[in-house]
Amino acid sequence: MSDEKDRQQNDCLECKKKKDARWREDFPVAWESDNYVTRREMVKFLALGSLTIAGANAVVAGLPHIVKAAEMPRTRVALASSIPVGGSKLFSYPREEDPCILVRQSDGNLVAYSQVCTHLSCAVVHNEKENVLFCPCHHGYFSVDEGRPFAGPPTRPLPRIKLEQQGNEIFAVGVEIA
Amino acid sequence: MSTRQAQGTTLFTALLVLVGIGVVVQLWLLAASVDAFMRHEGSTAVHAAIASAVVFVINGLLVLYVFNFDRKIKRDG
Repeated sequence: MSDEKDRQQNDCLECKKKKDARWREDFPVAWESDNYVTRREMVKFLALGSLTIAGANAVVAGLPHIVKAAEMPRTRVALASSIPVGGSKLFSYPREEDPCILVRQSDGNLVAYSQVCTHLSCAVVHNEKENVLFCPCHHGYFSVDEGRPFAGPPTRPLPRIKLEQQGNEIFAVGVEIA
Repeated sequence: MSTRQAQGTTLFTALLVLVGIGVVVQLWLLAASVDAFMRHEGSTAVHAAIASAVVFVINGLLVLYVFNFDRKIKRDG
């Protein structure tokens, strides 16, 4: 009984081998050599990868020079006489959805910054008493003179809005990212 | 396998590891320069690009050296 079983199993194995051989004839792919990667091929692949990454790095370094900053619009912000010393005014620049703040300092100079906090994008407000730009969300403090953070979680300065004064009118003409 | 061939194999393996480390360093430099670009810090990206180019030159020289060594072994038998 067991001999018959063994014979049947052997027959089956032979059938399988034959089938396999026929299949290999139809699709003559050398699987072993196909999966085998030599050291030489690997080194070539790594060297090419190295070249590609160096190229990508050069592109990233050159991007700011290649992609010129888009032309900034010239937008009328306020009348100079309407902002008292220590006072501020909110406006949008360069787009409607970009809030900014214009502040007249104690020496009479006008400065403007993006109102978006560089920490988590809350709106900063002008604190006239302390003469600072203050983010109420996480208590970030920026200097009015340069927009630099000096307390709280923000680490990057506020983008400065370039201003031009023509007579009594103040215009926003560009954004300066430090 | 002759002694010279065994040396060649060892050299190839060592070089493979060195070039691999170089590529990993370059990937790190690329990530750092993209990060700097997003933070508008152009100078960091330029320095990273220079460092990446230097690593590539080192990798290239190593590959050239080992291929020359390999050719020499084959020629000498």
